[in-house]
Order: sequence, then C-alpha cells, then structure tokens
Amino acid sequence: MIGPRFPELLAAAQGGDEQAFAVLWRDLQPAVLRYFQVAAAEAAEDLAADTWISVIGGLGRFQGDERAFRAWIFTVARHRAIDWHRQARRRPTDSIPAERLSERPAPDDPIAQVLEGQSTRAALALVAELPADQAEVVALRVLGGLEVAEVARIVGKRPGTVRVLAHRGLRRLAQRVEAAGLLGGVTR
Amino acid sequence: MSDDHALEPDMYPPLGSLEPTPPADDQDLLERLLDSRLNPASAPPGYDELTRLLTAATAPATPEELTDEQLAMAAFAAEMRSHPPSLVPRRTAVPRKILTMKAAAAALVAVLSLGGVAAAAGGLLPDQASPVADQAPATTGADAAAHGLGKAAAANLGGAANAGSAESRGRASAAGPDASGAARVGLCRAWQAGQGADHGQKADAVAFQALAEAAGGADNIAAYCEDVTAGASAGAHGKGQGSPPSVSAPPTSVSPPSSGPPADPGPPASTGAGGHAQGGPPTTTG
Repeated sequence: MIGPRFPELLAAAQGGDEQAFAVLWRDLQPAVLRYFQVAAAEAAEDLAADTWISVIGGLGRFQGDERAFRAWIFTVARHRAIDWHRQARRRPTDSIPAERLSERPAPDDPIAQVLEGQSTRAALALVAELPADQAEVVALRVLGGLEVAEVARIVGKRPGTVRVLAHRGLRRLAQRVEAAGLLGGVTR
Repeated sequence: MSDDHALEPDMYPPLGSLEPTPPADDQDLLERLLDSRLNPASAPPGYDELTRLLTAATAPATPEELTDEQLAMAAFAAEMRSHPPSLVPRRTAVPRKILTMKAAAAALVAVLSLGGVAAAAGGLLPDQASPVADQAPATTGADAAAHGLGKAAAANLGGAANAGSAESRGRASAAGPDASGAARVGLCRAWQAGQGADHGQKADAVAFQALAEAAGGADNIAAYCEDVTAGASAGAHGKGQGSPPSVSAPPTSVSPPSSGPPADPGPPASTGAGGHAQGGPPTTTG
C-alpha cells in the first residue's frame, strides 16, 4: 500500500507523470503477478502486462481512493484470467510452448521450500493447488490485500460465501503444510 | 455458515491422530491470517507452517518481479501520447470559467423556477402569497440559485443514493418545480411561510407534491425543509467550491458480472453505488 501519498500520485499519473505511474506500478505489480501465478500460472507475466495495459487505458477516468484502485486493478486482472482460461479450453491441450515450460520449472518440492521460508513462488504454487474457487478467494484476500466485501464484489459472490471459501482454502493449506512439516521431521 | 465448522468432504483426511490439524472453528485466527495481521512468531500450534506459507506468499517484491517495468512505462508513455491527459475530462481539471458559466446557467434556471414557485404559492395561499412572492424574486435570483446549486452540488458529492446531477436538475426545474433540485429552497420557503396555516390543502398542491416526493412523504416535509433551508444558508457561497457534478463520471460499474463474457471493467466512477440512471426525478428524463 502506498498510503497518504496515493491521491497525489494518482493525480500526477493521470496527468501523464511517468515517475508517478512507476510508483503505482512498482507497488502493485508484484501482487498482480502473484495473483496470476495462482490464477493462471502458465501465462502470469503476459496477463499481468495485459492487465496494466487495460489499467493505463482507463486510468484517466478512475476516481477513488487507494482501496478502490486496488479493487479495480484486481477486477481487471480477474477478467484477464477468466479470458485466458476460456481460450485455454479451446486450445489443444499440448499447445503450451515448450520454451514457456522450461522458463518456469515447477519447484521440485514446494512444501519443503515453503518450510524453509524462502520461496514465494512455491507458496503460490501450493495456493494454486486448491480448488479454483478457494484459490481465487485466498489469492485476492492475501495477495491482493483486499477485504471480504471487496472480494465479494469482484467475484460476484456473497461476503459469507467468500469467507467460507477462504477459510476452507486456508484449512486445506494448513493440513498440507502442517502434516508435511511433521512427517518431514521439520520442527522449529 | 454453521456448516463451516464441520469437516468439509473435500478436505484432506486428518491424517490419523496427528496433532497439528488446526481446530476447525478458529475463524478469527483465519481472518487475521487472511488480513496478514498475524505475526508468524506468535502463530499458535497447528498454524505456524501455514503462517510461514502466507508470509512467503506476501514477501517483499523481488527484482525479478519488477523486470517488466520498462514495458509498462513504454505502454504508459504510448497511451499518454495517443490520449493526452488534457483531453480526459477530470473533476480537478475543469477550469473555473466553466464553473462560472454553469453557475450562471443554473441561476437563470432557478430564477425561472422560483418565479413559478412564487406563482404557485400565490395561487394557492392567498394569505401568505405576498410575503413569499416578494421574498423569492427579491432574494436576488443569482444568490438564490447559488444556494440551490451549492446544495445540489453538495448532495451530489456526498450522496451515493442521490446520484442525479445538478445539471439535469437544473434543466428539470426549468420545466417545472423540481423539489430535489435548485428550486427546493424556494419551495421550502414557500411551504414554511405557510406553516401553521392549512397544511392539508398545501399538501395537495402540485408544487408541494413534488416537495413531498423529494422529502419522501408529506409528513417529512417539515424536517426536509429544515435541512434544505439550513443548508442553503450554511452553504451560501458553495458555488465556487465543489466540483462540476457528473462531468467526469464514466459510464461503468465496479463489479463485473458474475457470469458471461468478461468485458473489460472500466474504472469505477466512485465508490458509491448508482449512476445517472437512477435517483433522478421523473421530470429529468424529459
């Protein structure tokens, strides 16, 4: 979060100030990218770039505070992910380019890496293994830093449903990593 | 959500008698985890690995994640070239001159409608007609309009539910008394001037029906008018400040449809609900 400087930065970026836009981008890009690593990992970088192009196009018309700005960006991002999955279903299953696969090696053992506290990407890979609706809600809540009501609006579900999905997702994650921690003899 | 306490069928089996299975009812803890408000060091047993996972997921940005910055900046620069910001209507960018013109236009409209109000009051309330009729035009048209405009603009800025624009209200009051717009101060004064007299008869008058509509019922007129006239004196010179209402609102909504093809969501006009389509009095459509 940018905080008190946000309105000033937003206004400057809307006026064409590249430095101001760069601050907004640096603040949000990691979260957007991580969201896509959960929602559409194979195309995360491309979809993040697409998201920013949409955001840049609508920036001049945006009105609102920083929370609303984040909510808007993740609304755009989610639509990009939905589009991508829709197109992916129409593609032959083996159409993912080989170079893309090699550029993103799956972590050998995501659980072990997370337990070492090192790997953001491994943690995201575990979130991505959740059922899609749980993964989406956990990603928007945790990575997007959005509140229940904001997530509910974005995904078009009731706040109570969002809460339940997020809790289920966390419990499921907890069972995976806590059990793995014990079974692997990792105690801290 | 009471079923949330139960073990969901889709959960992993609890792995025999292993201890660290988190208690299923600790929802507050889960919310704190989701809000990233739980210090990993103070995570209770059964949650420390999960906390570590979420901490890793929200770790500070790596240089790798910011490698596309030049790409984004190039896209930004290209957009600014093809759509220079000066062409984008924004609240803050509207010059004062336009505000002044708007105020003048609204003043004209208000003068016309105040005249109508005074006439209506005169026709229906012979006793009180002359003070009101004297008062309304005498409150130098432009000033009265400024009261109305300031109030309308304030309502516009503050009220998500009351999302009509002062501009359209102004137009509406040219066609007839619009009790929620610039003319309401005049209407309210006319109504208040008759207080203690025959309210039942006044409530029947067309002009005051509009007032009742704006107030949300004839019974609410007194309270409504107290607000309106108080606000009118308080915001007497509100015409200069405040923004031109609705100049820049894009015609989009925040929330995407839950199904159907995801069109690109435009930026939200404001955090409030509503738009121009709702909230306006029927006369605004004419």
